[in-house]
Amino acid sequence: MTNGLGAMDRRTLFKLGGGAGLASIGLGALTGCGSSSGSGGSSGTIKMLYFGQQSSATALQKALQPQIAKIDKTATLEVTGINGTDWNDFIAKVLTQIASGSAPDIVSVATEGLQQMASKDLLVPLDDRVTKDLSSLQSYFDDIHPALIESMMYQGHLYELPDSFNAGSMFYSTDLLHKANVPEPAAGWTMDDFHSYAKKIAALGTKVNAFDWVVRLWGSWTSFLYANGGNLLEEGKYTGGDWLWSKAYANNQAAAAGRGGGWKWGQPTANSPEAVEALQYLIDLQRSGMSPTPDVGGGGTLQGLFASGRIGMTIGGGFWAGGLHNAGMKDGSFDVQLFPKWKTNKSLFGAGGYGIFNSSKKKDLAWEVVKLMVQPESFDILFPGNVTTPGRKSLMTAKRYETTGPKHWSVFYDQLNGSVPISAPPYYNALATSLNQRTTQAIASGNAKAALDGMQADFEKAAQGS
Amino acid sequence: MFGYLMISLAVIFVAVFTFLPIIASLGLSLFSWDVISPPTFVGLKNFKRLVADSATVHSFGVTLVLAVGIVALQLSLGLALAVLVNQRTSTWAKTTFRTIFYLPLLASTAAVSIFMGYLFDAKFGVINYYLNLLGISSVPWLTSTWGSMITIVLIAVWQQVGFTFVLFVAALTSVPTDVLEAAAIDGASPLRTLFRVKIPLISPTILFATVVAMINALQLFDQPFIMTKGGPGTATTTATIIMYQTGFQNLQFGYASAIAIVLLLIILAITGIQFLAARKLVFYQ
Repeated sequence: MTNGLGAMDRRTLFKLGGGAGLASIGLGALTGCGSSSGSGGSSGTIKMLYFGQQSSATALQKALQPQIAKIDKTATLEVTGINGTDWNDFIAKVLTQIASGSAPDIVSVATEGLQQMASKDLLVPLDDRVTKDLSSLQSYFDDIHPALIESMMYQGHLYELPDSFNAGSMFYSTDLLHKANVPEPAAGWTMDDFHSYAKKIAALGTKVNAFDWVVRLWGSWTSFLYANGGNLLEEGKYTGGDWLWSKAYANNQAAAAGRGGGWKWGQPTANSPEAVEALQYLIDLQRSGMSPTPDVGGGGTLQGLFASGRIGMTIGGGFWAGGLHNAGMKDGSFDVQLFPKWKTNKSLFGAGGYGIFNSSKKKDLAWEVVKLMVQPESFDILFPGNVTTPGRKSLMTAKRYETTGPKHWSVFYDQLNGSVPISAPPYYNALATSLNQRTTQAIASGNAKAALDGMQADFEKAAQGS
Repeated sequence: MFGYLMISLAVIFVAVFTFLPIIASLGLSLFSWDVISPPTFVGLKNFKRLVADSATVHSFGVTLVLAVGIVALQLSLGLALAVLVNQRTSTWAKTTFRTIFYLPLLASTAAVSIFMGYLFDAKFGVINYYLNLLGISSVPWLTSTWGSMITIVLIAVWQQVGFTFVLFVAALTSVPTDVLEAAAIDGASPLRTLFRVKIPLISPTILFATVVAMINALQLFDQPFIMTKGGPGTATTTATIIMYQTGFQNLQFGYASAIAIVLLLIILAITGIQFLAARKLVFYQ
């Protein structure tokens, strides 16, 4: 015990049986791994958590092992796949695993979980290591968009090196557009254009839908909210970060202009007029028969419907290039354009990267592995087949997309300009739960305002409790 | 001694995997714990919070409504099917129907829920497709408040009714033939025989089926979690879903444990009420 009965350490609680909590639901998860040490594993084994199936994790482990051996002959990499329907699910499972005492050394986590993990001191700031190795990392910083770096900062510190991202652009079925006799959208198209397209595609019949979307934080009705000039939370930036911007971007001060120490999410603004207008627009689209009722989380159903030619337009990022190709769509049967402009051309993105756990006992080796992960040659080992967008611009080439498409692949990177990371504060999980619930409530009732008032109250409660 | 040895494995299993977690949950419900920071003792604060938390209270209401619907439909449908099958004289027919009605119980609830989610999809689902062919407009099965509740009840009943059905078939088979013959000689119609003779005689089985069905229904999780994620809004957010969200998503394990304990107490209370009512309603030969 550390503080009488008021506060006892986690292992003491486990010893008393408290770790078994939540009846039998939590028993396996919480006590199953309770005996291992913080960073665990044999000497020289770097453990990494990966969002995906174990078969993919094992393939990744085998592919990266030769590279790891070049860093340290005795080092081995152990990648554990964690399944989940979305990042919310993944983060919940990672945190439960950490609670069991089997925290890994490296975690691959997206924007959704960064502030949550950083705020709980689960991740170690990389500032000193980046500063120390800046010369070897300079080519990385020269190549990667500073918005991605900034999205991985929290309270002035850098917690992850990003290697991938997905910005919310608009995918469309070229077949359905041709059938509807509308030209493919050009850069700079507007919401009026989008609505006009939607009406013409919907006129093709009841077997197709003009537009479909998924209820989640990334690329949902939130894309329309951003384009409408709003956000779920007040946008701000932490001070700090000069240690990085002044050095790593010394040769490109224009790119670093206005950058800070990470995104600071302030008071909830979920029921702002912009939010109500954006969500009500999509509800009206659904009620007028132009859009089906969206699924919650994931996106597999949407991808299947789009690939089978039943959806005209939907929000997607670079991950859809590989996803649609794997679903059997031929290059040319779909394409992508920047998200249509509404009141602003603000859009959203989420980034993925690698951080080191505070509890790791092999931080030096873990850092070397993290640096390896963001090397250009590692990208296709980590993400074979265009299942995400490379963070390094040098990897965005016509050759990369010549098999999968789409024709306007450069949109993926261009979308980053003027875009804002998804608003994932330290209380992200509570925010995501409320977002899903209140959005489905709005769709069922048809009343965006009432549902968003509820969302606002939920967010305020979650923010107070965080 | 040999007897104790024989039951020891079961006792140890139940103690480790049932009683210990319950006791642990009770202890944990007195703490505030995000699984990362050290737990802090908060006494009964989590229980006080529960009473004032409209979302959690609402989830208990949803749970009760769904449970009553599931139990009522499961029992009445199970009994109706059992009576009909029991009237068949062919053993082949009886075995075939027993197998058919019991099969859904063997399927994975998660797999069934995913599959049913596609079937009941408002826009692309097969159910609405056939309704449309009949000239009936699409039903928002999973995207409206009442639609989602009814769908969840129907799917839960579809999967669980086989268990109740098998219990009732066995009970009806064991009804003494001399009693039935006496009823027939007295001129009782089939319906009168059912309600005045058979049902009273199988009432202990009905009590057992009711208790088991109610306990299961009050812990409903898989179907709403997979098919509706507790929505639309919170229409199908059951107590177990909010417990999961609170614990494993919002990392409030102390509060989630308090919800688990309250749910346990509610289940115990309802089961107790059922046994009390059974004193007057159940007939033991």
